[in-house]
Amino acid sequence: MSKTNNFVFWSLYIVAWLIFVGLSIEAGGLIVNFFFSLYNPDLVHNLYQKLDLSAMYQQSKWAFYGMYSFILFIAILKAVMFYMVIRLMHNMDLKKPFSTFVAKQIMLVSYFTLGIGLLSYIARQLAENLTHHDIVTDHLNQFWEDSQAFILMGAVIYIIATIFKKGVDLQNENDLTV
Amino acid sequence: MPIIVNLDVMMAKRKMSLNELSEKVGLTLSNLSILKTGKAKAIRFSTLEAICKALNCQPGDILEYVEET
Repeated sequence: MSKTNNFVFWSLYIVAWLIFVGLSIEAGGLIVNFFFSLYNPDLVHNLYQKLDLSAMYQQSKWAFYGMYSFILFIAILKAVMFYMVIRLMHNMDLKKPFSTFVAKQIMLVSYFTLGIGLLSYIARQLAENLTHHDIVTDHLNQFWEDSQAFILMGAVIYIIATIFKKGVDLQNENDLTV
Repeated sequence: MPIIVNLDVMMAKRKMSLNELSEKVGLTLSNLSILKTGKAKAIRFSTLEAICKALNCQPGDILEYVEET
């Protein structure tokens, strides 16, 4: 592998770590806020990143907890997905990439990406539904505006994972050909 | 697997060790071991030719088909 490719690979590895740390902090903050909001509803007006869901909480607690659960779950899934990517990049041998572990990790990343995309899409539709009941959800769009991008990315990664798995099978067959 | 490799039988008949066969055929010991233990998925004609030449036998002496029950 050329020096340029190696440099790009390790740069991406560092970027992945930085994104993972950011997503973990976000997920952690959202989890802490969630548990605090259960015991002290006054905190609902000043959640993670100054998110104010007090109006939603007063109109419907079910809507609040439902929407917040979606936000939380999506944030956790994103953090876990990036952890999978880091694990893949850390354990991957660039000289011999076609291994069962790499194929499995890429498939897992595709599942997580598709899951995030589908959950985001469902949450967005539910949020739109809530607006018909006079509950304001515009400020929550930031959490699921990229749902279609995640679904597209998930589909592409799934196709790549399937091709990679075939590559691994061919590699194994080649290794056992004398 | 329905194809059985009788390499060890032929090696015993010709009184040849695995090391000796490996040197004559030009295969590594690990590859020969894969073939001998029946783990191989495929064999190249060039390899089969080299083994038959080294053991002075026919491909049928080394490869045997047994129907799966």
